[in-house]
Amino acid sequence: MTAVWAIFKKELRIYFVSPLAYVFLSVFLFLSGLFFYLGLTVNGEASLRVMLGNLAITMLFVLPMLTMRHFAEEQKAGTFELLMTSPVPLGSLILGKWAASIVLCLLMFLGTLIFPAVLAYYGDPDWGVMATSYLGLILCSFAFCAAGLFASSLTTDQVAAGLAGIIILLPFWLIGSATSFTTNETLRQILESAALLTHLRGFTRGVIDSADLAYFASFSFIFLFLTYRTLESRRWR
Amino acid sequence: MNRSLKRKLSYGTNASLVTVFVVALVVLLFGVSERHRFRWDFSAEGSNRLQRDTLNKIRLIQLAGEPVRITGFTAQSGKQDSYYKNRALRDLLEEMDLASGSISCRFIDFDRERLTAEALGVTQYATVVVQRGEGRVDLRDRDLFRRRGRGENRTLEFLGEAAINQALSRLMSDQKRVIYSLVGHGEFKIDSTDPDGLAEVVALLEQEHYEVKELDLVRDRAEGSPPAVPDDASALLLARPRTMLSLPESDALVEYVSRGGAVMVLVDVGLPPPRLLARLGISVPDGTVMDKRMVYPYNDRPVLLYGRHSITRDLTDMDLVTVLSHVAPLKWADPAPDGIMYEGLLKTSRRGWIEMGGATENGLPVFDSRYDTRGPVTVALAIRALPGKGLVMANSPAARLVIMGDADWSTNAVINEGPGNKTFAVNTFRWLVGDEERLSVVGRPTSVRKLALTEEDTHMIRWVALGLGPVCVLMIGAAVWASRRGR
Repeated sequence: MTAVWAIFKKELRIYFVSPLAYVFLSVFLFLSGLFFYLGLTVNGEASLRVMLGNLAITMLFVLPMLTMRHFAEEQKAGTFELLMTSPVPLGSLILGKWAASIVLCLLMFLGTLIFPAVLAYYGDPDWGVMATSYLGLILCSFAFCAAGLFASSLTTDQVAAGLAGIIILLPFWLIGSATSFTTNETLRQILESAALLTHLRGFTRGVIDSADLAYFASFSFIFLFLTYRTLESRRWR
Repeated sequence: MNRSLKRKLSYGTNASLVTVFVVALVVLLFGVSERHRFRWDFSAEGSNRLQRDTLNKIRLIQLAGEPVRITGFTAQSGKQDSYYKNRALRDLLEEMDLASGSISCRFIDFDRERLTAEALGVTQYATVVVQRGEGRVDLRDRDLFRRRGRGENRTLEFLGEAAINQALSRLMSDQKRVIYSLVGHGEFKIDSTDPDGLAEVVALLEQEHYEVKELDLVRDRAEGSPPAVPDDASALLLARPRTMLSLPESDALVEYVSRGGAVMVLVDVGLPPPRLLARLGISVPDGTVMDKRMVYPYNDRPVLLYGRHSITRDLTDMDLVTVLSHVAPLKWADPAPDGIMYEGLLKTSRRGWIEMGGATENGLPVFDSRYDTRGPVTVALAIRALPGKGLVMANSPAARLVIMGDADWSTNAVINEGPGNKTFAVNTFRWLVGDEERLSVVGRPTSVRKLALTEEDTHMIRWVALGLGPVCVLMIGAAVWASRRGR
C-alpha cells in the first residue's frame, strides 16, 4: 500500500507541475460548459443528462491522452527497467498510476459541480438522478483510465499509446449502435451487454443496476489485468 | 529450437492461458450478474419503477406463457419535443424489457431501420407495436404523449406506461367487456368533460379494455317488451340517479341481479336511493357523514378508512387515500337477507358521526349526542348475493354489487383530489366483472421537469458555463507555472 501511495503521489505531482493537467482541465470544463449550455437551451430541462452523455464520449477521447504517458514514457526514457528492478511490486505500480489518473478525473468532475448549482438556482432538479449520473461518469472514468493504461503499456510511443487507447475504447462505444444491423436476437443481446452506452444509460436515469456496476468493475479489472500481464511479459520477452 | 526460444514459448503459452482463463472467468461472472440483477431507483418520483398495475399484468403474462413483443419507433428528429419523446419511450421499454423474460422490447430508429418498420407495417414516427401471438395493438404518438398548459406552463406528459398497459389488457382479454351506465334520471354523463362528468374515469376504464355505454332502460328496450339490462352487460353503473327509477326499471335491475349481474350504485345525500337497495337490505339514513379528521381544507370530506377487501388491499398497503365529498351514510340489515354477504369498503373512524344538525363550533358541525349518530359510519360496501338463496337464481353466478354513499368522488372534479380515487374506481369495476387477478394500483403519467428561462438568464448561464470554470483553472495553472519559474 505504501508503494501504491508513493507512486500515486509521484504521478499526481507530475500531472500538476506540468501544464498538461491544467490544459486538460480547462478544455474539459469548457466542453462540459458547452454541452450543459446547449442541453439547457435546446431542451430547457432541469437535468444534466445531455451534458453527462456527451461528457462520456468526450472522456473516451480525452482520457487515453491523459494516461498515454504513464508506461510509454517510462519505457522510452529507460526508467521502466529501473522500476521493474525496484522493490515496488508491479501491481502497486499499476494501481498507483491508475489511482492518479482517477483523481485527476475526479477533479475534472468537481469542476462541473457548478452546473447542478445553476440548475438548482433556476429550477428544481432531481438530485437523485444527478448523483447517479455522476456515479456513472466516475465508473466510466475508472474503465477508460484502465484501458488507457493498457494502451500505454503496449508501446514506447506516447502518441501511438493515446491512439491505441481510443481504438480500444471506440468499439465498446459503437457496438451499441451495431445492434440495429442484426436481426439475430442472441447476437443483439451480446452486443448490447458489451456496449458501454447500455450500462451508462441506467445511471443517467437515476437507476443503479448491479449489472452495470459489475460491467464497469469487470471492464476496469480486465484492462488492469491485461496491463499487468503485458508489463510482466517484459521480464521474459 | 534454442533454449531461449523454448523458454519464451513456454512462458508465453503459460501467460496467454492464464490471461484467457482470467478474462473468461470475469466475463462469466459478469454474465451471471446480468441474469441476476438488483436495481435501485434514486429518481425523485421513482419514475423508473414500473407501476404495480404494469408489474401485475407482466406477472399474468408470465403465468399465461405466451410472450409479448413490444417494438417502439423513434419520434421524428428535429420536431418539437422529439428528444423527450425518444428518451421517455426508450427508458420505459428498457424497464419493461428487464422486468420479465416474457416481454421483449426493442427501441428502433425509424429512419435507420426502415426495413423493420416496413416489415411491421409501421408508417408513422413515435409508434409502438405491442404483439402477443396473433394479436397486435398499435399505439400512436397521441396515445403516448399529451401536452398540457400553454406558454411557460406547457408540459409534456408521457402516458406510455398507461397506453402499453391498455394494450396488454386488450391482448390478454379475448373480448371487450361492456359496462352500461344508466341514464334517464339525471345521472352523471359518461362522456362529459365538465366537472360533474365522468370522462376521466371512463377513459381509465377504456384503458382496461372495458367499453362504457349509456343505457336508457325505457328507450333502449325492444318494442313491446319490458325494460331489461342487455345480455352483453358485464356491469351496470347507476351514477347518482336524481329521481326514482320507475317500477319496470327497478324490476329490470332486480332481474339483472338475479342473473348474477354486477352493479355499482352511487347515491348522494338527500337523493332517493334505488329500490334495489331495499331488496339487498341496504338503507341510506338521513344526514351527512362527518369525522373529526377532514381532508384539508374541506369540511365535508371525512378522512376514510379502508375495510379489508381485495378492492382496497393495495390501496391500504400503499396508504393511498380515497376522497369522498359530502357523503351519505349506508346502513345494512342485521341479520342480512338470505344469501346476502356484506363487506365494508370505506368507513369513518370511531370519531366519525352522522350529522343531523345541532351544535356547531366556529360555524362547523360537531358531534351532538342529541341528534347525531356516533361512528364508525360505513360509506361504501361490497355485496355478494349468493345463487339459489333469495335474490339470485340457483343456476346463476353470485351477483356482485358495490354501493357508495357518494357519487362526486368519481367525477372529473374530484377524481384527482384523492391519490386513491382512480385506483378505487378501476379496482371496483375489475372486482365487479370478476377480473380479480388484475386488481392493483393505477398510476399516473410522468412529466418532464422544465426550466422557464428568460433571455437574461440564458446569457448569464452561458458565461458561467463556458467561461468561469476554464478561466479559473487556467489562472491556477498560470500561477503554478509562474511560481515554478520564480524558484
